[in-house]
Parts: sequence; C-alpha cells; structure tokens
Amino acid sequence: MRVCSELNDTHGPTAEEKTSVPNVSRVVASQKTRKRGNQFSFRRADMKLYCLSGHPTLPCNVLKFKSTTIMLDCGLDTTAALYFLPLPLVHSPRLSKLPGWVSKDGAVNLEKELKECSGRVFVDSQPEFCLPEKELLDLSTIDVILISNYHCMMALPYITEHTGFTGTVYATEPTLQIGRLLMEELVTFMERVPKAQAATCWKNKEIQRLLPGPLKDAVDVWSWRKCYSVQEVNSALSKVQLVGYSQKVELFGAVQVTPLSSGYSLGSSNWIIQSHYEKVSYVSGSSLLTTHPQPMEQSSLKNSDVLILTGLTQIPTANPDGMLGEFCSNLAMTIRAGGNVLVPCYSSGVIYDLLECLYQFMDSANLGSTPFYFISPVANSSLEFSQIFAEWLCQNKQSKVYLPEPPFPHAELIQTNKLKHYPSIHGDFSSEFRQPCVVFTGHPSLRFGDVVHFMELWGKSSLNTIIFTEPDFSYLDALAPYQPLAMKCVYCPIDTRLNFHQVSKLLKDIQPLHVVCPEPYTQPPPAQPHRSDLMLELQPPPMAYRRCSVLGLPFRRRYERIHLLPELARSLVPSEIKAGVSVATVSAVLQSKDNKHVLQPVPKPAPVPPSKKRKRVTEEPPEVLNPKPLLSGAVPLEPFLAMLHKNGITEVKVEETADGHILHLQTEDVLIQLEEDATHIICDNNEPLRTALRDLVLRFLQKL
Amino acid sequence: MDSDCLSLLPAVCLVLADPKQSPPDDTSLEKLLDWFKELHSQSDGQVLLQHQPCLLEFISSVCMSKTTDPAILSFTLKLTGLLAATTQELHLFDEGGLLVNVFEREAWGVCDLWEDASVRSGWLQGLLNMLKHQQALGFICGNGLIKVILQLQNDRSLFVACLANQLLVHILNFLTSPNMTNGSDVVGSSESSLRPDWVSASSEIMNAVVEALSSEDHPQVLQGLRLLSLVLSKCGEPIISTLWKDVLVPLEVLVNRGSESLIQTLITVLEAALGTPLLSQSEYKVEELLEAMLGDGNRKECFHCAALIVKLEKCPEVLKRKATDIILLPLQCVSTQPQAEKEINVVLKEQLSQKASCISLLMQSLSSLAQLAHTKYLFEDISIHSITSSVLLLLRMCSGHCPTSLLHSNAFTHLIGCCKVQRCGLDTLGALSVYEEILDLRKDIFGVLLDYLQSPDSHATVLKKTFQAVKRWIVCSPFPDLLQFISHDLFPVLEKRMCDLRWEVRDSTLEFITQLTTALNGNSGFTEALHTSGMVSVLLSSLADAEGYVRASAVAAVGEAVTASSHQMVLVSNSKLLDEALVQMMAILSQDTEGFPRRAVVQAFTSWLKGSHLITALELSLSSVLSLGGSDFDWEVKMHTLELAEVLMEKTLTCCPYAVQNFGSSEETRFTQALIKFKNFGLFDLLFNSLFDCDRPVCEKACALLVKLRTLTAETADLDNSLLVLNVCGNRWGDEVQRRYLNKQQAKASVSVTNGVTGSDEGTDCGLHCTKDISLPKILQILDLDDMQRMLTLSSDHVVNSPRSLMEDILSAAQHSEENIVDCY
Repeated sequence: MRVCSELNDTHGPTAEEKTSVPNVSRVVASQKTRKRGNQFSFRRADMKLYCLSGHPTLPCNVLKFKSTTIMLDCGLDTTAALYFLPLPLVHSPRLSKLPGWVSKDGAVNLEKELKECSGRVFVDSQPEFCLPEKELLDLSTIDVILISNYHCMMALPYITEHTGFTGTVYATEPTLQIGRLLMEELVTFMERVPKAQAATCWKNKEIQRLLPGPLKDAVDVWSWRKCYSVQEVNSALSKVQLVGYSQKVELFGAVQVTPLSSGYSLGSSNWIIQSHYEKVSYVSGSSLLTTHPQPMEQSSLKNSDVLILTGLTQIPTANPDGMLGEFCSNLAMTIRAGGNVLVPCYSSGVIYDLLECLYQFMDSANLGSTPFYFISPVANSSLEFSQIFAEWLCQNKQSKVYLPEPPFPHAELIQTNKLKHYPSIHGDFSSEFRQPCVVFTGHPSLRFGDVVHFMELWGKSSLNTIIFTEPDFSYLDALAPYQPLAMKCVYCPIDTRLNFHQVSKLLKDIQPLHVVCPEPYTQPPPAQPHRSDLMLELQPPPMAYRRCSVLGLPFRRRYERIHLLPELARSLVPSEIKAGVSVATVSAVLQSKDNKHVLQPVPKPAPVPPSKKRKRVTEEPPEVLNPKPLLSGAVPLEPFLAMLHKNGITEVKVEETADGHILHLQTEDVLIQLEEDATHIICDNNEPLRTALRDLVLRFLQKL
Repeated sequence: MDSDCLSLLPAVCLVLADPKQSPPDDTSLEKLLDWFKELHSQSDGQVLLQHQPCLLEFISSVCMSKTTDPAILSFTLKLTGLLAATTQELHLFDEGGLLVNVFEREAWGVCDLWEDASVRSGWLQGLLNMLKHQQALGFICGNGLIKVILQLQNDRSLFVACLANQLLVHILNFLTSPNMTNGSDVVGSSESSLRPDWVSASSEIMNAVVEALSSEDHPQVLQGLRLLSLVLSKCGEPIISTLWKDVLVPLEVLVNRGSESLIQTLITVLEAALGTPLLSQSEYKVEELLEAMLGDGNRKECFHCAALIVKLEKCPEVLKRKATDIILLPLQCVSTQPQAEKEINVVLKEQLSQKASCISLLMQSLSSLAQLAHTKYLFEDISIHSITSSVLLLLRMCSGHCPTSLLHSNAFTHLIGCCKVQRCGLDTLGALSVYEEILDLRKDIFGVLLDYLQSPDSHATVLKKTFQAVKRWIVCSPFPDLLQFISHDLFPVLEKRMCDLRWEVRDSTLEFITQLTTALNGNSGFTEALHTSGMVSVLLSSLADAEGYVRASAVAAVGEAVTASSHQMVLVSNSKLLDEALVQMMAILSQDTEGFPRRAVVQAFTSWLKGSHLITALELSLSSVLSLGGSDFDWEVKMHTLELAEVLMEKTLTCCPYAVQNFGSSEETRFTQALIKFKNFGLFDLLFNSLFDCDRPVCEKACALLVKLRTLTAETADLDNSLLVLNVCGNRWGDEVQRRYLNKQQAKASVSVTNGVTGSDEGTDCGLHCTKDISLPKILQILDLDDMQRMLTLSSDHVVNSPRSLMEDILSAAQHSEENIVDCY
C-alpha cells in the first residue's frame, strides 16, 4: 500500500496506484468510520489447496490460508479391504479350505498369501486401508484439523500419531463421540480375529503385475496400512477440541473458523474459514432431507470467495425415499415368506432412521412381532448416544426431550423387546436368537465384523435376504468371497447427502465466486455418460481436484485489515476529490503482531541532546518529512497548449502516442510526455524552465 | 301453502322496501325469486299484479328511494322482469310508466347504484326475464336499451358481460322467431318482415360485433369473439350467415395475427362455426380460417391450436390430418433418431430447450394422441408403430434411460423423473392398446411398464397410471405368454408393491389385482396362477393392513379372487381361502374402526351372492352379515346391507342356486318357504329396523323393499300366516309397529262402538290383548308404507326450505333488528 507518495515531475496514478484505487477508497471509507476504529487494508499473497485424497466422500485436503495450514477432514478409504478375505468370527471350514493361488505356469506361488474363491483372488491377511497422501506436504506443519462428520475422521490416528503433528483437531461433540465408537468398533473387529501373517509379497510390483484382476489393478498398494490400535485412537482423540455450531474459533489471529450444521449426521458440520476480507466455505457431507440431525445451515455460506464442495451423494440416481421404500418392501416380503433379513451397516447414522422407519412400517405391514437384532461392539453406546445429543437433533426430535420422551423411537423398540442389541454373536445373543428376524450388523464391506458370520450362516438359503443400505462399497465386490450365494441380494443404497439437483439450487442461492470440487463431480458418472444432469455445471466452471493435486485458489479481493490509532486518525486531513470521496495522506509506523496490524503515529524525534558524540545511524528515529501533496486529475491537451502559448511557448509540435501525447517545444528543445497516468518533462540543464513548466502542469491538477 | 305465503307478501314487501332494514342475504332473495317464478308459471293467466298491488308499490318505492340497497334494487329489477313476462302484466306496468322508471337508470332515486355490478346484473336479468313477448322487445328497442346492453357487453364484471352476451343472443334469436315474423316461414324469412326499429336493433348488435372484432382493445376483441361464438351456437339463419359475412374480414385479420391469448377463443368461434351450415359453403372460409390458424407448424401458437383442432368433433378430415401432424411433432422431435428426423423448425427447438414449454408441449402432444386413439384414428403419414415407439422412448427417457443418439439433450434433462409427462405418457400408452397393428410391440411395451412398476422412484400416481396401462394391454387381446408374464413378471412386482411404504401404492396395487381378476374372470390359468403363486395369501395378509382404504381394497381383491375361484371350482380344492377370507372379513365387519373396509365386506358378499355359482359356506355367514351390517353406525354400510338384502330377495325368489327347492310344491308354498328363509336370515329385522333408521336414504331403501314384499304377499293368496309370525317385542321397530297396531285397533274399536257394533271381532280382541306376535302380512298392512315412502322422497329440509318459512325468516329478522334498535336506545 502506498501510504504516502512522492511526486517530482510525475503525476497521476502510476501502474501501482491504478491497481490500488480500491485502497484509496478504503482509506476514505475508513475515514468515515473513524470513530468506530480506523482500518486500512493491503494485499496479501495467494492461497493453496493440497488434495491428499481423491475420494469425493472421504476427503482429506489441506488449505494454506494466510499464515495457517488447515487440514479439512481426514477420511479413510476402506474400500481396499475388499481385496482381502473376510475375517470369520467363528471358524469357517469353507474359508479355511480355499485353495491358494499359483500362477498358471507355476512360476509364481503365493499359496499362503492369496486364496482363490469363485474365480477371484483375495489376500489372506488382515485387511488394510488406503491412507491419505503423506508425501505431498510436510504434515507436521499442519496447525489444525477441522472434522466435518464422524465418517470423515477415520484416518485421524494415521495423521496425528506418526507425522509429527502438534496441532489441534476441532470437532463437535457427537462427531468426536460417535467417531470414537466407529474407530473402537473397527479396532475390535480387527483385533478379535488376529492374523499371524502380514501378506506383503504380492505387493511386489513384478508379482502384482502377474496377478489376476482386480488385484492386478490395485494402486498404491505399498501405502496401504493395517488398522491402528486403541492406544493410537485414544492419543489421536485426545487432541480434539470440542466446538459448537456457530462458535467462532480464532486461529492465531489470522483466520476464524466456524462450524455450521450440515444436516447429514449427528454433529455433522460444514466449516467457514474467514479472514476480514476472504471467506472460504468448506461443504462436506450435507443433507437437505428431513432426517434426525439438525437441518443444514445455508445462509452463512453466502458470499464465499471459494467454496470447497465435497461429500455429495455417492448414488445420485437413487432417491433416498425410494430406496427406503424398497428396503421396507423387500424386508416385509422376506419376513412374510419366513426368511431372515441381514442389513450390513455402520453402527451409527442411517441405522437410526431405518429403525424409526421400521418402527412404523412393521406394525402397518402386520409384522410387529418380528425381532430386530443390532449386533456391534458399540451397539449399546450408539443407541444411547443418539438419545442424549438432543441439542444436535432436528427440531421435532428436540421438542420430544421436553415432554419428556426419548427423541428416537428405538427406545420404545428396546423397551418392548422388539429391538435387542448385543456386543457380539457370542454370549446372550446365541441363546435369545429367534427366527425369522432382521439383523443389523457391521461391517458393510462384509470383510470383518459379525456380518461375516451371518453371511456364512444364511447365505445358503434363498429364503433369506441381504439388503445393502450403505453406499460406500460395491455390493457385488462385497459379496465376491461368498459366492456362490443362494440368499437374495437387494441393493438399496440410502445416501442422504446432497444430490446434483439440490447442490445446483444451493449454489444458486449462496453464490460463491469459485467452487472447488473433486474431479468426478465435473463429469457425468462413467456408467451414464449421457446424464449431464448428474454433474456440476457452473459458471465459472468449478476447479476440479484429484489425489495429489495442488490448487492455487483464485481470490478476487485480497486485503488485510489495519487498524488506525485514534490519535493518528485525528491528525488526518481528508480532502474531497469528488463528491463523497475524500482522500488523506497518512504517515505512520506500521506495527504487526499476531497477524494484527496497527498504524501508529510516528514518534516525535527526541530533542537532540547537545552532545557532539556521534550516534549510530540505526538508533536515529526515522526522519519525518512532511509528505509532498498527492496530485490527481488529468492535463487536457488543448487548454495546456493554450496555456503554453500564453506563456510564450508557441512552437509546439504535438505527436500522438499510444498512451497520450508528446509535446516537443522546439525552441526550448524540451519534451513533455503527457500520458494517462504520468507526465514527464524532459529538459536538459534548464532547471528554471523545468520548474516553470511543472508549475504550468500543476495548474491543471488538484493537490491533496 | 301459496295462499299462506301471499298473505305474508305485503309485510315482506314492506320489510324489503324499508331502507332501515338490512337486506336479507342473496340466497334468501334468490329463493324468493324462485318462488315468484314458480307462482308465475302456475298462474294460468291470472295476473299476480292485480291481486297483489303491494308488488307494484314495492317496485315503485324501491326505484324511487334515495337509500335503496343495491341487493334490493337488483332483486327488484329481476322481479319486475319476471312480473312483466306477459303482455297483460306489461300493460299494467306501463300504465303508470313504471316499467320505464324501473329500467331507465336516470329515473332511479340513486343513479350511482348503477356502479354496483349486482345492480347491472339484475338489470340485465330483469330484461332477460321479461323478453318473452313482442312488447318486451318493443320496450327494449323503443327505449334505446340495446345500446346500454352493448356497453355492458364490455363490462368490467365478467358476470355482467356474460349476461349481456346472453341477452343479446336472446334478442337476436327473438327477432328471427316465428312469432316475431308474423307467422311467416322462419327459414325463408327476411328482415323486411320485421318492424323497422327491430331491423335497426339487429344491425346495431351485428355492427357492434364487427366493431369489437376490428378493435385494438384486447378485452373488447375477446368479448366480440365470445358473442360471435354464442350467436353461432345459439342462433339460426339468417342471423348466422348475415353476421358471418360481416365479421369474416376482421376475423381473418385476427387469425393471421396469431395472438396467443386469442387462440382459445378463436378456436371456440370456429368450432361453433363448424356446427353450422357455414362449413359447407366455401365462401364462408371456415375451413380456410382453421387452416390459417395452424399455419405451417412453425409458429409458437400452432401447437396449442393443433391440440384444440384435434379435439374438435366435427372437423374436416384434411384439417384434422394437418393438425395431427403438427401436434405429433414435439413427441417425434424429442424421441426420434436424427437420421429419421424431418426438418425441425427453430421455434420447436427453442420451445423444447426450455423446461416449462418442453413439458407442456409434450403433454399436449401425448394427450392429443390419446384423444385420437380413443376414436381409433387412422394415421396416414406416420405409422402407429413409429408413434408407439416414440411414446415408449419418451417414457424410458423420463426414467433416466437415454437413447443411443439424442436429438435434444436439454429436453432429456427436463424429462428425467418428470411425473407429469410420465402420467400423460402412460395414459397415452394405455389408450394406444386399441390398435391391433402394434401388438408386435407388446414385449417392449410390457418391458417399459414393468420398469415403471419396479422402479423405486416411481411416484404413487405414476404407478396408478402404470397399472391402468398394464390392465388395458392385458385385456385388449390375450396373448400366448400372458400367463407366463403374469406369474413370472407381474406377480413378483405386485407382491413387492403390496409391501410398499406408501399406502396409496398398496391401495392401487390391490385395486389393480381386483380389476385384473375381474377382467380375466373365466381364465382358469389365471385363477390357478393366483393360487399357486402365493398371491392369495399375500392378499389375505393385506386384510390386516394398517390403512383403512387398503383394507377395503384388500377385501374387494379377496372377494374377487373368491368369485374367480368359485367359477373355476378351485374353491373345492382350496376351501382354506374361503374359510380364512370369511373369518377375516367377518372380523373386519364386526370390529374394524373405519367405514370403508366394513362397506367393502358387505359389497363383497353382495357380489358373491350375485354370482352364478353357489358358495354354500356363505349362507352360514349371511345372517351375521345382515345383522352386523344393519346395526352398523355408518349409513353407507347399512345401505350396502340393504342392497345385499335386495339381492338375497331377488335370488331366493327367482330361479337360482339360492332359490328354495321346489320338490313339486306349489308357487305359494315356495314363496312361504322363501319368506321363512328370510326370517331365519334375519332379513325382516334388518328391513324393519332400517325403516325407522335415523338416515333418510336407509329408510327409503328399506321402505322400497318392504313395499315390494307387501306386493308379493298381497299377490299370494293362500299364504300361511301362522308360519310368518314375527315377534314385535323388545326392539325399536317392534314398539313402533305395536303402537301403530294398537292405535288402529283402538280406532277400529271406537268406530264399532259409535256404530253400535258389539260383535266379537276376533282381530280386535286378540290385537288389544295379545300384540307380542304379529304376522308379516299384518305388519306390512299396519305400517302405512305408501305414506312413509311419500314422506321419505321429500328432501329432509323440505319444511325449512318452504317459501313460507323463508318469508317468516325475513319478517322475523326484521322484527329482531327493530328490537335491537330499540335496545340501543
């Protein structure tokens, strides 16, 4: 910013000044609000987004915003588990008898690591997961991690525990508590069925190349990691600081972050990251449907410079209401025919809505006596947690608490013994188990958890049905190690997150200047290339990212707020350059501390002591010069020529240039360049003439 | 009654004319006018005005009053018109110049009242009421009222404008009616036989139409067109051709201008012209104008126009073909492959690229196609095969399937999930089932319909339309694989839909099954499939649905399944169905909290009983149904039970499986046996209870049945009364019968005493002392069924709605308001 300017024989805005015109107006604006606090602004550097995950619904991005480094979510892609054999809770003769894999020519023998099942090859080892990219930037530099929902924090221990991370993680309370449950459940699933060996040979590039698909095509296999431990979970979660919706959290005085309700799950949030002049919105996993969480807060997302958009529905063609209908009718058909229904699901989230829907449906379908079983190491906690986070629920459910009634009807299902929950298939469950029934259990990948047992138990009967409701995994891949399968399979993915129609309406409403989103959102789904309605079509087009992308975020406004001390403000003398616009020059000392900038009056020089002792230059206070006046306006050619003529300069040759005119004063041999933003008087060794000419020029300009 | 009312009339007139009284509500005034109308029509030449001078006073005072209420003035105008509808009465009015004072608004006490639309409407209605004779027309023409009426034709109130149009048409018609042309032949009559002022009146009206049509003022043009279409549809020659000749030029201008807002009205005019002899004469250019409306299919309005022309009943064939070609363009354009596509005009392309116009165009296209299919229209330029394929493709696009090459990707995006187009398309697809030529497309058609039935995103209303289309295609012509399709493809989907979360879907699924079973009645394969596929047990479980409407539909479906099974004798081997159905249905009838399922149960029994096959198990439940249904608190259940009783009576008394066996017995014995059977079923209890029910329709129905029964008993000479004795104690109807019986007996006894007869009348003796058991014929005699029937046919509000009560209300309201005024002081 040009706090004061000098003018010799140059006037008008320079290239610097031209771009700084808004600055001047800000100075003016601040003058109007002088008594409320005086602020200036100046331009800042660009901002960047590092994309550590390409998965649209399990994002992990790092935003370098002002002087902070903020990680947005920490999703764990568990689809890699599909390449592994299921972990049976009870010894499975079928799985243990699977043949090992040997290449056709016998050259590669991985009998111990790989097993063949129904024409596909699976890794016989503890399942591994694909982590966010760790090499793109130094993760120890991350200041904070913002979590948007409990599904998007599953990689947290990998990031906070082994990278030198020393920052803080921000999340809402339900996100932390339910996230903890999901992590503990994952750990329990793995630790309950320990595998002695870890298969690594198959990852060898040369060997992997020879493997049958889809194992052959798996990418980044060396970065896959086994599940973390309970200790790592505890340590990671100890770094979480709880926040409430709309709570403003200051980060080093540079930016302010605020979580907003996103309507997707209990405690799920979108985040606003803003400084005084820039606003970045991070939208991740949001829903406009009326389900159990608090509705999505939209208005605060308005006027964002950049909106990072992730977590849209994974199945845009499946309408959640339609899917719920399918779920219920298939369930009823199976039960009526005397079969059992298996619902592989996460232990929190859509299950609450499913239970609520079934609570009403079962009676109406005359199936009221059918028992529901919810089996998970964290089943009890999950059902109870849902009832106590009243303030995070939708209004309808919140009001129940004051009656007082439990917000979710599953409490009544438990009371009436229609819903029973067990930590595992072992113990009470085996004695109380009654068929036909509906079992909700994890994990939806069908590779670990109690669901593996039910697949082995019920898979052989065509009376039974497995209904997939979680959209995270391909159901055909999930079922692959259980083939041949007699049980019926129904795919009813219920994804309540925003669909493209809703998101385009939302964007129209909140009008961000730029949208950043995962690459898949910018083109129709590969399986339906004609569905141009299933992509984001925006103007300007959204900036797409993929794993390992580094994007420079475009900002139109780039200013910093500077406060003006009142005594300095009082000393300013604004002069009106045109109606409503006043300008003043400021000479001050800029002090910056904790990302806050203050303009202070220049300290008066101490009276020079009558000492002849030489002082060191550095100790001298800055020399305060009265600033030369700023000039504004333009020099009109004809009147200027007339003025020259009047002053005795008659022989003037005018030449038109691209930027203005060159006046050649032939007798005096002086050149005057009149340009839009500068005037130069080129006059050799004739200072009086130059001064006279300068004064003539100045007559046409306004002094500030 | 009327004399009572007439005595009240002066007082009522005083109240109505009293400006201090607030006027009665509009309905009361209208009812009063109705009474006058009735009185007038029954007067047989008697002049009301002569007998009721208060009327003239009333009319005069209202018109002169400075404080008349608009409602009263409007009423007065209408009344005056009514009273002046005969020449005699008109003269009475004319004597004091009253008629002019009434219809000349300058003569009114308050001229400003004309500003009130109800007054203008009353004025027009008054003239319309009056226009029954030449003098009336003379009055209108002579006083220059035509001009006022023409002005009112453009009134800001639509009601007034519409009434003005009606009046003008009435005047024109009156001018050409036989009594106006001095009895000369109307068809050949010319205006020369009319009075000169009438000739000028008719030309004034016609000129006004021409002027309106040439006007730049849009509302005026619209009114002109409306009057024109009214004249065309209501008037005869020579008015029509005279007027048409005059309006042809401005009409052509309007048609060629092609203003969208006039299309509908222009088409109405041309439609009216199609029904007149104008069509056959080429110089009148009716067809030409319609063709001009269509243009060459490249105007925005032509599609709307084409859609209207397609609907016209009397439309020249060439024109209809052209309109059909145009209206099908949007459908073809969206769903045709580019190589087969004709040149598509820019206007259509633009319309299809916008969502609202795209959907509306396609709906117009589809509904016109359905309209054409209803008349089994023969398409010429384009094959019905290709049209059907287009509809199929469109329906696929609506559910998100994209054709290999797409002409309008924008249109495709608009269509995905669009319920409106889906519903319309399914209706059209169903309508197309009349064309045998496209039977080879059946596989594709059922494919699309099954997709819709299976899709989780199908809206409930879309599913209903799909069911309708499936039914039409199944019924149109049974095909070899029909049963295979039903049991392998259709039944599994239906089974799932019966478990749907939305009750509307469960309901329409059950309705569809009922319709299908009815339609395929007699098809043994279908009945077998119904049983073997487990559908029946699903139907039975639907009887316990949480939603009352669904239970009702399930009852109907089960009922139809039982009927179908009984026809095929499947019931013999599958009696479990009937047993279970009966148990559940009886439970519904006795316990269900909602009326619909209970009504459905009784209806199911009625339909079983109507059937030609005897279902013996039913007979055991019949008496329970009659007793439960008759004592239901829902009047419709009671009505249905009476219908069941009627069918039972018919079937038992005629030759059918339910008829009593006639092992050589006489007609009389058989009738007695039938009556005994009815008694055992509890039919008489039902009928007598219903006769004294609190719901009038129930009483009416029961009364009708009892009258029928009485006729039959009267016809049967030697009926054994001792077998048909009914216990009249301990129930409501019995008490009533007993009371009437005793009254009659006492009356008889007192008559005997007066006459000095002391003989031992057996009946009296027995009747007075022993009234516990009375024979059926006796009861039917005691009850004055004819009188009851007469009373019941009168509407329940016949007392309160009488003119007398109306007048009393008016008077008492006035009295109360006076009291209130007094109270105020």
